[in-house]
Amino acid sequence: MKKVVVLLFALAGMVLAQTTVRLSGFGGDNVPVVNGLLNEIVNPKLAKDGIKAVYEPVEGDYTKAILNALSAGTAPDLFYVDIFWAESAFASGRVEPLDSYFTKQELSAFLPNLMQAFTYKGKVYGIPKDFNTLALQYNKDLFDEAKVAYPNQADTWESFEAKIKAVQEKLGDVAGFCVVPDFARFGAFAYGTGWRPFDSQGKTVLDANFKRAFEWYTGLAKRGAAKPAQDLGEGWTGGCLGGEKAATALEGAWIGGFLRDKAPNMRFGTTFVPLDPQSKKRGNFTFTVSWSLYTGSKNKSAAVKVLKAITSPEAQQWVLERGLALPSRSALANNPIFQRSGKDAELNRTVFLGSTALGGAVLPYKFAAYGGDWLTIINEALSAVITGQKNVDQALADAQARFDKLTGK
Amino acid sequence: MPAAASTRLAPGERYLARRRWARVGWIYGSLLLVGLLFIGPFFISLTASLKDNPLEWPFRFQFPQVSPRNWSAAWRLGIQGANDPWLGGWTYGSQIGFEVAYFVPRGTEPTPPQITIPRRKPGAGQGAVIDRPYAADYSEASMPQEIERKPFVYKGESGQLVRYRFQVAYARELPNPEPPEAALKHVSKPRIDRLPADLESPRGQIFISATLDPNRLERRGRVASWDNLTPGYLGYTFRNYVRVFTESRSLETGRSLFLSWTLNTFYFAFVRVLLTLLFASMAGYALARLYLPGKQWVFLLILFGMMVPAQVTFISNYLVLKDGIFGFTNLFGVSTLLGSISGLILVGAIGIDKVFIMKQFFESIPRELEEAALIDGASTSTTFFRIILPLATPALGALTILTFQGAWNEFFWALVILSTGPQNAYSLPLGLYSFRNAYGQVGDWGLILAGSFLSMVPIIILFAVFQRYFVESVSFSGLKG
Repeated sequence: MKKVVVLLFALAGMVLAQTTVRLSGFGGDNVPVVNGLLNEIVNPKLAKDGIKAVYEPVEGDYTKAILNALSAGTAPDLFYVDIFWAESAFASGRVEPLDSYFTKQELSAFLPNLMQAFTYKGKVYGIPKDFNTLALQYNKDLFDEAKVAYPNQADTWESFEAKIKAVQEKLGDVAGFCVVPDFARFGAFAYGTGWRPFDSQGKTVLDANFKRAFEWYTGLAKRGAAKPAQDLGEGWTGGCLGGEKAATALEGAWIGGFLRDKAPNMRFGTTFVPLDPQSKKRGNFTFTVSWSLYTGSKNKSAAVKVLKAITSPEAQQWVLERGLALPSRSALANNPIFQRSGKDAELNRTVFLGSTALGGAVLPYKFAAYGGDWLTIINEALSAVITGQKNVDQALADAQARFDKLTGK
Repeated sequence: MPAAASTRLAPGERYLARRRWARVGWIYGSLLLVGLLFIGPFFISLTASLKDNPLEWPFRFQFPQVSPRNWSAAWRLGIQGANDPWLGGWTYGSQIGFEVAYFVPRGTEPTPPQITIPRRKPGAGQGAVIDRPYAADYSEASMPQEIERKPFVYKGESGQLVRYRFQVAYARELPNPEPPEAALKHVSKPRIDRLPADLESPRGQIFISATLDPNRLERRGRVASWDNLTPGYLGYTFRNYVRVFTESRSLETGRSLFLSWTLNTFYFAFVRVLLTLLFASMAGYALARLYLPGKQWVFLLILFGMMVPAQVTFISNYLVLKDGIFGFTNLFGVSTLLGSISGLILVGAIGIDKVFIMKQFFESIPRELEEAALIDGASTSTTFFRIILPLATPALGALTILTFQGAWNEFFWALVILSTGPQNAYSLPLGLYSFRNAYGQVGDWGLILAGSFLSMVPIIILFAVFQRYFVESVSFSGLKG
């Protein structure tokens, strides 16, 4: 009798006890999105298991906050890992490999490019939450007015340059493109040539392919096809497009929300990044964030359930329907939402397909464990040439010398 | 007169007079300059917060939101749209009339513009996540009718000015989407916040004017676009300020987040001020006047406490809050003080520097007053509350303003304690920070500027009311050397 009572109590305790799984990520508009997901999809689904997921956003410097929390042992069960600093987080040993929690089949449902990005030393450390790539947006009105054909996916650097040059010449008050000294944009062209940020020994070598892309990109303004973004009073190519200061922009799906506010009536189209005329290939980045599991988590099995629910097809459908982010599951490529007509659907479709074979050489936006130190070198070289402080050879020689110091000669 | 006066002065006196005036000129000139230096950026950002595009360059001081013609139009349209001249809106049965004028160059036959009521959603922030009723689903717009044609010259080109008129009506009702069982019985005709409109004209026809100036001209002038045709006066002129309140709402309760943040901050500042006034004055009095063995050591300890940088105690304070003061708060059913205003109130509830200010002040009060009270039979607490505290009003005023200002602007601890909690428990500075994260990424700075200005208002009022004490507080804090 006593045993039965104890058992009953234990059962009641199990039913009543609620496991709280803490999730952490960016603040700002991630707060309503993740909370919406939790309230509408994840928590109703897991209520029967007595699991409740709670989102604890970090307003401010998320990277710093999460790295601190990981080393202090106060990290939440699940958290965002940005691809940019993923490697240093995975190397710390504070992020749990997920291979034992997921079947191979479950993992293969996600876009291979993204899974690759979160694989470190053969193990999967994160499930991609969503992603972005770069695509070329163009203002149809400006091309119509200049009587120039729209850019399309067969364009090479040369044919693309001819088109935007014609627009800039005919309209006078509009630039063809606005050039930013940022590897996050220029890199797409460099990857198209076959150049890779690190060679097999992990060193950065600015070879002839890199130089070809560098010369073309930094020379756009001089050849009258573009203007530096700074001269147009903008900091990014999307700002130039939105203000009708430039006819094209090279951005990801994030430009959609910006244009909805800034220029809701703009007739814009989206196509892929132009091809390298020599290699006939294009390049691209994947910008992505994963959900990862903390090794010190006290309720890993509950956390994995939440992780599966928040990256489930239903959850990604929910996010996609609201136009908030692109899904990381390959099956959603055939989603009717992508096939809709209209400029936003075209933008999302092109950015999504940018991560597949159509995108060409697609590399994750990460630079080993060097991060910003590595980027600064190229960005400063770009800036020096665009503003005319150095010529191409000098800038590349200086950059190579700095890379030799950073990555070893 | 001055000329006549100066002729009568001796040369030496004239020189002195000139010097005197030069001095006055210098002093007032530099004061004005300093004033301008402080007010200038203030004024510019206030102006920018009213604009559709706060980053607009070159900066204009003349823009639609400051034109009285638009004010009266917005007022009128607000009445027509929802019988609300201040905030406007769009309610069932309303109808508005609207006029636009286009310039048509000679030799071109005027074509009436195309009107559309778009389904428009904000690009960022919560508006982008939450679906609200769209005016597009409920409204009908009439074809623009030509009402006037007259010769006109635009930038040296002659042609004609064609004026059109159209109506938009809230004429449709929709089946109520929820609850489903009542769908057939009920129709939905909600009050809609805004009625956006786009007016597209063929290339070559140039938009000249409208009943209400559009928020932006797009597609190289071909489309005139309004965010709201029925804004009301505040909704038009102070659009960003209204958006601050209406656009971000709690997901659970639907209450305006900005309002919650303001109330939270008021509550926090109020409690913090009360606690500080009470405890700092009691502690200050005890240290200044009461007989306490080892008083000097306590005082030394306090001085020492002032010298420890906040960064040193930060982590231990955080851990104490995290566990709810060693589990003490579990008695009240709360397991942690993180994520709630109570945690924020507890951290640094009584500032050591405030105790110091009060102690210094009490020492300046003549001892004879207390002795007189003692002779009359007053106890220590009566003396303190009836004699000393009323005498300390100036110091208390200074303490109030210093504490209130500190609490109102408290950012660091708010970030540490509240940012893990629900969004509607944020304080104002933290809320504004989250605005920056949410809206800054799409360049929507107007809303952030407006929010910051609103958050300054209570402090400005406080300074205006208590400025005498504030000046005195500076002289007190000067005492501590």
